[in-house]
Amino acid sequence: MLGNAPSFTMLSELLQGTDVGGFLLIQDSCSYSGRHLLKSFIDAALNREEVVHVLGLDVSEEELKEGLKSFVFQRLHFHDAYADPLGWTDNSPFTVHQFSSSRLTELLKQTAPSKPATLVIDSLSWVLRHISPTAVCHTLQQLKKGGAVRTIIGLLHEDMHSRGIVGSVCRLATSVITVEPGTKGEEALAKITKRSKSGKVTQDEQIFSIRKDLTVTVLSKPTNPGHKRSTTEEQVDPTANLTFNLRLTDAEREAKEKLALPFVFSKEKKTALLHSGPGSGKILYEPDASDDYDQEDPDDDLDV
Amino acid sequence: MAAPVKSMDKPPAEFSPLNFTSFQKKSRTKSLSIPGTRPSVQNGQLLVSSGVTSLDYLLGGGLAVGTVLLIEEDRYDSFSRMIFKYFLAEGVVCRHELFVAAAQDDPDDILQELPAPILDDVAIHRPGEQPRMSCEPQDTLDAMKIAWRYQNLPKVQSALASSSRFGHYYDVSKTMEPEIRQAAKWHRFYHPEHPPLSSGTHSPKLESYSALLKSLRDVIQREGFDLTAPLPKSRNILRVGLHSLGSALWGDDLCCYNNPKNVHALTSFLYGLRALLRTSLSVAVVTVPSHLIQDRALMGSITRLCDNAIALESFKGSERETNPLYKDYHGLLHVRQVPRLNCLASHLPDHKDLAFKLKRKQFTIERLHLPPDLSETVSRVSKGELAGAATAAAACSSATSSAKHLDF
Amino acid sequence: MFTELNSILNTSPESFTPGEFILLSDRQSDASFLIHHFLSFYLKARCKVCFVALVQSFSHYHAVSQRLGVSLTQAKEKGQLIFLEGLKESLSVFLPQEENAGHQAMSFLRDPAAGLRSLYEFVQSSVVESSGGGGASAEQWGPPVLLMDDVSVLLSLGVRVGAVLDFSHYCRTTVCSQLQGNVVMLVRCDGEAEEDDADDEGSEQLMRGLTHQSCLTLHVQGLPTGYCRDIHGQVEFCWKKRQSDGQHAPKKVFQFKVHDKGVSFFARGTSRAVL
Repeated sequence: MLGNAPSFTMLSELLQGTDVGGFLLIQDSCSYSGRHLLKSFIDAALNREEVVHVLGLDVSEEELKEGLKSFVFQRLHFHDAYADPLGWTDNSPFTVHQFSSSRLTELLKQTAPSKPATLVIDSLSWVLRHISPTAVCHTLQQLKKGGAVRTIIGLLHEDMHSRGIVGSVCRLATSVITVEPGTKGEEALAKITKRSKSGKVTQDEQIFSIRKDLTVTVLSKPTNPGHKRSTTEEQVDPTANLTFNLRLTDAEREAKEKLALPFVFSKEKKTALLHSGPGSGKILYEPDASDDYDQEDPDDDLDV
Repeated sequence: MAAPVKSMDKPPAEFSPLNFTSFQKKSRTKSLSIPGTRPSVQNGQLLVSSGVTSLDYLLGGGLAVGTVLLIEEDRYDSFSRMIFKYFLAEGVVCRHELFVAAAQDDPDDILQELPAPILDDVAIHRPGEQPRMSCEPQDTLDAMKIAWRYQNLPKVQSALASSSRFGHYYDVSKTMEPEIRQAAKWHRFYHPEHPPLSSGTHSPKLESYSALLKSLRDVIQREGFDLTAPLPKSRNILRVGLHSLGSALWGDDLCCYNNPKNVHALTSFLYGLRALLRTSLSVAVVTVPSHLIQDRALMGSITRLCDNAIALESFKGSERETNPLYKDYHGLLHVRQVPRLNCLASHLPDHKDLAFKLKRKQFTIERLHLPPDLSETVSRVSKGELAGAATAAAACSSATSSAKHLDF
Repeated sequence: MFTELNSILNTSPESFTPGEFILLSDRQSDASFLIHHFLSFYLKARCKVCFVALVQSFSHYHAVSQRLGVSLTQAKEKGQLIFLEGLKESLSVFLPQEENAGHQAMSFLRDPAAGLRSLYEFVQSSVVESSGGGGASAEQWGPPVLLMDDVSVLLSLGVRVGAVLDFSHYCRTTVCSQLQGNVVMLVRCDGEAEEDDADDEGSEQLMRGLTHQSCLTLHVQGLPTGYCRDIHGQVEFCWKKRQSDGQHAPKKVFQFKVHDKGVSFFARGTSRAVL
């Protein structure tokens, strides 16, 4: 357990979006998609009356808007890079090669000139497949500093890239949430790392589930943070349901301890046997050089 | 019967051209019975024998026409080469045409080493009659006095065999008589005879493989094995034997480096080979020195581009040679892939613990089982060792073996 | 079409969810039997089907489909099925002869580094003309469906993983999103699941990338305890999206056995062979 464990859960704190100028990264893998959580973040931002821009590469507009309340759509701007990200069909409003801070800032300013907006990138993996990681990192850093963006929220499929690339992107992020499938049903595990401006790092693991209306319920902390979930399988107590009694009450224990066991000699008898009195004989034997020792183990033929 | 070779310009007389499939149903094959073939009992595909009876049984009756059998070579290429030669010898005896390609040895030399067929072998090797266990002679089996409860138990039959005979038996201690060999019509591709041409294409292909594929295509088209063209009156099977593909002598660097430059050359060739065979009356055996290929994923994609795949693991030079469990065998045989062709369910072997041995005259594949434990003292010493070996064998036969897991 | 599979997936040819990207994958096993299911399923559902067959010939699919009660030649004649036979077309690229230079769709074989745009254009033209110019054809077909067998063979032919993922992305945008049809792809890989080779160019990487794109995956594996003659393996069904009834059951595992004319699925440990 961390000493300064926040009283409020970190996940809901992040969902409230208090930090400005941040870059939140959601990492997922094949086994659990981080898109549900991403949508919860979009929903939370929209509920705070923020303007949200989504750069959709991995996901179509319909799929992204599914589940969001329709009255917030006026504040949600979807930039479609899904339909034609490489310009193969010539109807692309945005191709992946336009991924630069100037172009993105331009996009953001087209619709919301007044107030810094939240930029959601779904997913960075698509971008990283076509643009060099250094260029992507530059762009993200410039966007973070540029002022046109309030927060960047990115989705990254970590199993699609080498560890170095994932690490470089994570280094830029102020908060990283790694999602993994939970042990049962709809539950999932989030590993959260947050860096504050002062350099303080807080880490936490939480089990959460996402309801149909995209609200996130934080269920609990895993009992043993740092340990693998698979090892937290229920330990079955073998003495639980026995037909006989293995436990003793205090009274029973006392009675048991009073009992003298057979062949346990009293102290007097022991000393009497150990220190024999005068008058008794002793056998002294000194081994001789010509003594015949049996080298073989006499029990050799026993199969033990 | 002469080698049935008809030139392409001869008009097809009464046969209608079969223009889209090389795999005939039983009813259709009646009209074109080719010597040395039979339809599969399972799905009616046209089969040819691999030359090794027990291998035929293992592969579901034989090799289907139009498919590729991949043999992963053993370390010294001695047993894989033997199967390779069996396959060609069976072709010679059945008067099929042969196409032999190699980079290491001259195909002429390979042909000269073919094993001699045992042509009047029917009486000697009835499939029902298996080599007897030395400790239990036949007459005592007939009337057991003490262990009479075992009387009606079936005899242990470890060698794999089917009830009907298909293919011939060969004596590996002798080579085939030149008269038989010379009657066969065959085509050769010896890689050193095809000097590489310089070309500027940056395709993943390799010159040697392209030349081989082209040569094979020319033979198939010229000699009338192509099913997309009108077929000549009498049909025959082309047996294609490609030896040690992927080895350095083919100009391939698959075996030399972890990240070979021509990483897609062999797989592209196999794709082309598959395409060629699917539309022709031919069947291929390809051997690959898989123990030299470091990249297991690459070996996987090579396997997937073939239909049948078996791997030979010889005990020569491995610690298994001295293991008492394996003292009766020369190596293990792993079935890597079974073909799935024209049917949903593929023939699956009964079990995957298989071993091969080379008897004095014959190569056989058998079920792996423990040798009979005869002497008391030997048994004492090796018991623990055997148990370890048995678990090792189980581990390598199954994909993953976790002691805790139970599926049912 | 395997009816047991339909009930597991909660679909039928009369009502199925449009706009889905379904991934069939296997590891050290063979998932190709599932392709036959989806082929016959969508033909029975009267969809316009574009089948890009890379590893097997038309005659193979024809023979199996006949056992499942669907005729591919008829579907082809009616214009319901567009069949691209990769094996056949590849030969004219590998061994060019004067008369034909090969199908345009397979031109990636000549220069695999260039990507799969030509193959995508083939897919696009065959699915778009079906839904757009429906007036000319005698029969009206349902939403378009793209089927592909073993896309991992593209890697063996020298195509990069990224290029295959770009291709599948475009297939998804066109078929699933624009035309509300379905895409079914098969990807095969072997080797153990390894965690630390994310930068490795291989079928493993391709499978992960396609899993991220898909909304339903059917993953076939051998039994963890090893080979068995009566149970051929297990299928793991994994839904990415919530199902329509709000039920969010992300994973189900069934064991299966392939028969001559179908496949039986059963819950773990309930095979007829062991009960």
